[in-house]
Amino acid sequence: MSLRKSTVFLSLLALGLASVAAIMAQSALSGRGAAPDIIEKRGMVKRLALTDLVLFTDARYTRHPAMSDLHAPFQDHPLSLEHFPSGSLMAPPPNVRAYGKH
Amino acid sequence: MGSIEKQRSIIDFTLASLLRRKGKNAAFLAVYTLVVFSLASVMFFSQALRKEAVALLADAPELVVQRMVAGRHDLIPLSYVEKIRDIRGVRAVRGRLWGYYYDSLSGANYTLLVPEGFTWGAGNIAVGQGVARSSMAVKGDVMPFRTYDGRLARLRVAGVLPSSTELVSSDLILLSAEDFRILFGVPRRVATDLSVEVANPAEISTIARKIAMMLPDTRPIAREEILRTYDAVFNWRSGILLLILSGALLAFIIFAWDKAAGLSSEERKEIGILKAIGWDTGDVLAMKLWEGASVSLTAFLAGVILAYLHVFTTSAILFEPVLKGWSVLYPKFRLTPYIDLAQLAALFFLTVVPYAVATIIPAWRAATVDPDAVMRG
Amino acid sequence: MIELLNVHKTFNQGKPNEHVAIRDVTLAIASRRITVLKGPSGSGKTTLLSILGGMARPTAGRILLFGREITSLPERFLTEIRRGTFGFIFQHFNLVMGISVLENVMLPAYPRGESHLLLRQRALALLKMFGLAARSAAPVEGLSGGEMQRVAIARALINDPQVIIADEPTAHLDTGLSAEFMEQMARLREEGKTIIMASHDPLVCEAAIVNRVVEMRDGRLSAAGVLP
Repeated sequence: MSLRKSTVFLSLLALGLASVAAIMAQSALSGRGAAPDIIEKRGMVKRLALTDLVLFTDARYTRHPAMSDLHAPFQDHPLSLEHFPSGSLMAPPPNVRAYGKH
Repeated sequence: MGSIEKQRSIIDFTLASLLRRKGKNAAFLAVYTLVVFSLASVMFFSQALRKEAVALLADAPELVVQRMVAGRHDLIPLSYVEKIRDIRGVRAVRGRLWGYYYDSLSGANYTLLVPEGFTWGAGNIAVGQGVARSSMAVKGDVMPFRTYDGRLARLRVAGVLPSSTELVSSDLILLSAEDFRILFGVPRRVATDLSVEVANPAEISTIARKIAMMLPDTRPIAREEILRTYDAVFNWRSGILLLILSGALLAFIIFAWDKAAGLSSEERKEIGILKAIGWDTGDVLAMKLWEGASVSLTAFLAGVILAYLHVFTTSAILFEPVLKGWSVLYPKFRLTPYIDLAQLAALFFLTVVPYAVATIIPAWRAATVDPDAVMRG
Repeated sequence: MIELLNVHKTFNQGKPNEHVAIRDVTLAIASRRITVLKGPSGSGKTTLLSILGGMARPTAGRILLFGREITSLPERFLTEIRRGTFGFIFQHFNLVMGISVLENVMLPAYPRGESHLLLRQRALALLKMFGLAARSAAPVEGLSGGEMQRVAIARALINDPQVIIADEPTAHLDTGLSAEFMEQMARLREEGKTIIMASHDPLVCEAAIVNRVVEMRDGRLSAAGVLP
């Protein structure tokens, strides 16, 4: 086996770094607003006057976090603890946290 | 040239040394990669979703006015429309009709929405892909609904919304205003909330204040707040998932430190031999550092690349059970890849730097082994 | 030529298990000669070898290597000199397990940063000289005692040192291999190398090719002497 171990390793390392650099370049250059599917979705948002993404359909305040009021998360009881799994990924929306400040 | 060749030779030996205990080191590398993969996946997913949300909701209504009763979101009288329209700078005001419908058959929650200019006519509905999947309805089918007063309403599926828009439309059911009122018993003089169109975006906050003053029982929500909600909601620092991962990361670092700190007599002897045949403390230290660097850099790059593939080509398939949670309906979507230097730097400082810190003192201790012991046999 | 002047070596100085290994040794090792340090175990000959080879520092006294004082040189420089000047052959061979024969032979030269290709050629040439070229890629665990001995010698020669130091080289060898070893040392002397060995094996001490025997007991030279 005439290939040095360090050659193999350093080549793989270089390949890995190049891949990551390529990924970053692609993200930077892709120009977020320009992609056709983003334009299509934006159009729908405008036509239907939507305010939230469809992600967590288990509860009102998880489906429409931007529209939720103070009451929604505590609908069962003022001290009711978080019981939807999506709460582990999603923090309470700021408009609920900042009570009194609209 | 000499020092590059020297480092390459040291790397040769380091790799040969690592390959000696192939199984153990492979397992360690796999665990390390998994830790990086998990953290990177969470970070990439939440950051990309955050960016996508802000991009998609750029055309959300400029102002949404809700009515609050006893701290709760209540129906808003349409008489408010006139009052708001009179405010200077307001271009148009429209009552929005939307609400939730729980379908007991499928267990799914749907969002029913009356769009401006519903073209399919009374008795017809347009459904999102998620609705079609969970109710197994296709175009032409009739979907049954239970009205507020216990009667059965039958609505025909006139169209299914495109799958490319699932992220914003998956659980939507579009229907006419008459059908909405039949289903929910919402009287004609009220709406769910109002959407306000403002000519000059700079005036939105002023107008919002005026509305709040004029109608004290309302709560205006500006587009900026909507965007801020999504920006904050997916901030990856929040979330129990990350707490668990931090625990795993900490456990791994402690394990790595423990592994490095225990210098076996076998290893001690080997370093003694190296020193006896002509390696000095600096060379042995370089070897130990390359040992750590090769493992951590490999794990980091592999973890990041795998996480990228996971999040952006399979839409974070491993997270689906957590994201889906208790909901029956979950949209199918492909996120636009978004990775920047800040994310990678954060990942690097979380996964590689602690490992380096944990292993540097054991490395130094190993390097200062006395060659004398070797001579004594 | 290596000179030791009033060298002492004490281990664990000041502690309860203090041990004086070498007491006031003044010795000159001639170049291009085979010198044997003879003595029972505990006589300090292994320690003396370490000091001669620049692997250990004396507690007191001075060492001169080819007229240059190396007693208090910083570790980095001492190692560099040692690397290029001395080749060590240990009692238990001390080859690095888990890597190939060729890699073992090349190991002492890695810190020098020389061209990998040239180093490899040199190592292969050495192995060929010892009849081990065919086993160059084999892992060292699979070698016989005699083969390991030859790899150990090849390794000691990779940096083309002027001095070969061997500690009890025949301790794990049979008569045949021991004789072979002594022949190899004679050949190296003819090539201009200096050989220093520590042994209590009569096969070594009484060999005809040995130029000088230095006897040691309890850390002292019993039949010491300066340049003959």
